[in-house]
Amino acid sequence: MTRTIDWRRIFGLREAGVYYALLLLLALLAAIAQSRGLPNYLSPQNLGNIVYQASLVGIMGVAMTVMLITGAFDLSVASVAALAAAVLVGLAPSIGFPLAAGAAIVTAIAVGIFNGAIVQFVGINAFIVTLGTLTAVRGLVLVLTDGRSLMVERPEVLQEMLAFESTRVPIFWAALVLALILIVLAALKRRVLVGLGGLVVGILAVLAGRDFAVAAPVVYLAIFTAIVWAVLRFTVIGRRIYAVGGNAEAARLSGINVHAYKLGAFVLSSAAAGFAGVLFGCRLGAINPTALQGSELTVIAAAILGGTSLLGGAGSVLKTVVGALLLFTLTNGFNVLDLGASYQGLIEGAVVIAAAAIYTVGGDRRRGRRAAVDTAPEAPAVAEAG
Amino acid sequence: MVDAPLLQLRGLEKVWPNGTAALRGVDLAVRAGSVHGLLGANGAGKSTLIKVLAGAIPASGGSVEWRGEPARWTNPRAARAGGIATIYQHIPLVPTLSVLENMLLEQLRGWRLDRAARDRAMAVAQALGDPFDLDAIVGELPIGTRQMVAIAQGLMSDPALLIMDEPTASLAGDEREQVYRTIRRLAGEGRAVLFVSHFLDEIVALTDEVTVLRDGRAVLEARTVDLDEAAIAAAIAGRSVTALERVEREHPVGDAVLEVRALASPGKLAPASFTIAAGEIIGIAGMLGSGRSELLHAIFGADPAARGAVLLNGKEVSRDPADAVALGIGLVPEDRAAQGFIPGMTIAENIALPHDGWLIAPGRERAVARAAIDDLAIKARDGDALVGELSGGNAQKVVIAKWLTPRTRVLLLDEPTAGIDIGARADILRLIRRLADQGLAVLLVSSEFEELLAVADRLLVLRDGAIIAEVDPAATDEAGLIQLASGSQLTTDIAA
Repeated sequence: MTRTIDWRRIFGLREAGVYYALLLLLALLAAIAQSRGLPNYLSPQNLGNIVYQASLVGIMGVAMTVMLITGAFDLSVASVAALAAAVLVGLAPSIGFPLAAGAAIVTAIAVGIFNGAIVQFVGINAFIVTLGTLTAVRGLVLVLTDGRSLMVERPEVLQEMLAFESTRVPIFWAALVLALILIVLAALKRRVLVGLGGLVVGILAVLAGRDFAVAAPVVYLAIFTAIVWAVLRFTVIGRRIYAVGGNAEAARLSGINVHAYKLGAFVLSSAAAGFAGVLFGCRLGAINPTALQGSELTVIAAAILGGTSLLGGAGSVLKTVVGALLLFTLTNGFNVLDLGASYQGLIEGAVVIAAAAIYTVGGDRRRGRRAAVDTAPEAPAVAEAG
Repeated sequence: MVDAPLLQLRGLEKVWPNGTAALRGVDLAVRAGSVHGLLGANGAGKSTLIKVLAGAIPASGGSVEWRGEPARWTNPRAARAGGIATIYQHIPLVPTLSVLENMLLEQLRGWRLDRAARDRAMAVAQALGDPFDLDAIVGELPIGTRQMVAIAQGLMSDPALLIMDEPTASLAGDEREQVYRTIRRLAGEGRAVLFVSHFLDEIVALTDEVTVLRDGRAVLEARTVDLDEAAIAAAIAGRSVTALERVEREHPVGDAVLEVRALASPGKLAPASFTIAAGEIIGIAGMLGSGRSELLHAIFGADPAARGAVLLNGKEVSRDPADAVALGIGLVPEDRAAQGFIPGMTIAENIALPHDGWLIAPGRERAVARAAIDDLAIKARDGDALVGELSGGNAQKVVIAKWLTPRTRVLLLDEPTAGIDIGARADILRLIRRLADQGLAVLLVSSEFEELLAVADRLLVLRDGAIIAEVDPAATDEAGLIQLASGSQLTTDIAA
């Protein structure tokens, strides 16, 4: 049994819009850089930089996507990340980096369990609960840091933290192998997008050259995204995550433990935020109490740019990462090309709304067309069954 | 009936932009002071006809005569002003507002709480026999009362013709009775009522004239006194409805599979005990709100408050649907769209939902879906079709297919034929019979008692959360069953 490939759907705006948007933006920025006589905007160095800048939001965005797929919402991620960073920076001098990092992530997970338990077992809307923890956890950070910047003073611990965050990892061979695997997989399974992805990875690797290296967080982001993608795509757990968000009651009556999945999403979201916080703390070996403030909105914006529905049941972590890249390309472009930072917010907001509009309008059109085809032989599209 | 009809349709047509013809020339005459029944299977064109009359969509051809003059409404407000009120099937009320405010939603000007408007609403309510408190919040009213609010809302414009689209579909026995009384009263006041229903018995009991639509044409127009249910059903289906006839089962009933011991749920279910054997179909007869769904949910472990025990092959099932599924119990819930399937997922994915394991096997799942599509005659291209885009009957078959695995021993079916046209309904009843023949124990809840009588081996009658009788379906009829399930005289007998 072979699948028919629906080219119009795969390359339509709704499915692939975020990729087009990223390519278009990169082309535009490259052209501007060219015309102004600036260095090549699309240099491996600069592209690597963009991914590095997007990595923390990307990690949180991947977990946020899982959260949104289950139909819930987490506003507290940036505060949780800041809390994790504060715990890390506060504890590292006394107990060492690995233990402090563990403590930071455990703290973050505790917040996630708190959020999830209140949402699931008390039945308060996730938006409200996490709006509360957004504020409360930020307050906790202020209490812990006493309102001042904290810093790791011991040089050997600081060294360890910096190494964890800013080691550069050569990825040429890894990227090449990945590209090869994707292309073979695509040929076997007749998956157009997978093949295209493999091609893009391979070409980029060759262009970047054998000595190209990226910062460690990019690798962490890639690994985390790959794992979550594979779980969502290939495992029964992944399908059940979509099912829980698509129709929780139908999932429950199919024997799926809805509570566990929803709670799990909160834990994953907070754990990812905790890890992002650890990376953030390691970047400078320091934390100030307002660190990452407002990032939760960037995280959610990345997921929305990637086409994740706030209603649950749909979403893709790969596209969320691309969404995050899109947002940080905007930021990076404005900075590098000096386009006037005042316009940045305006443009970012417009992009998010435009993306949501494309998804909504494009989605309706598709549904309308398919519904007409499916029901025409039996009933006109209007005559709904009771 | 020599006077000219209030509403006269001649050759009414509606063709959708995609080329589908919903109405292919319908003639219909509705007279003042009479109740006119409109029937037809899903997709026959009832909803389209109603929308044209209500002014919600334009007709593509034919003529409408209203009070003897040609009429063409371009929007719902014009139809309202002309004297036609339409009450749609899914009661479009605002649940957070009071009854009074819902009745006044049509009002264009003035203060929110207008004395005169309130008096007018009070008069309408009084004419209906004051079924509700004007200041009650609609969302807190039982569904039957909400239906009365919708009727009252329609009456606010003092219409000459009231169109009701399946007003009784979600109502229980006594609530239906109230709607019937109201309809008779409205006809008595000289209004015309166009009454759409799936239920043949109420059409026969309530209407003066009947029109049956099939494939966008009026295939039967007659005075109700000249008809019986069989003739109407034959006109709707266009073929004989054999699945509703009782067939004696060939396969003997096997060993007991499921034992229910004093299963109760506080406030919902009195302790119930019974056993069901492999290959047996037990029908649960009860009105809406009698605890039918609650009983099935308690067996399935979906009711955390339930007490008592459920044993499958002697092994106790814990209060967790996951455990029930693992042991081999499947539930097809009452509200298909809200509880049964995941609209954004494909047929294959929906069918695979209860399956355990780690990795998804797309090839096997598609094969299973293909088999289900062929086996259950699901109308869909392939297993990749989204279930949300299927018609009600086909979506229901997908929900049933979900449980057709070797693991399943007991199938709990809650109103599997609700909101499904007669053809698909017969398919599903035949399927239930076949599954039992293959050794599945089936517990079937249905509001259509004739279905229970046709397929069940035993009947349990449920009222007010308690099993009050066990009946042999061969030894009773629909009327007897309705009396048992809803009859007040028996309650007094028992109480006495």
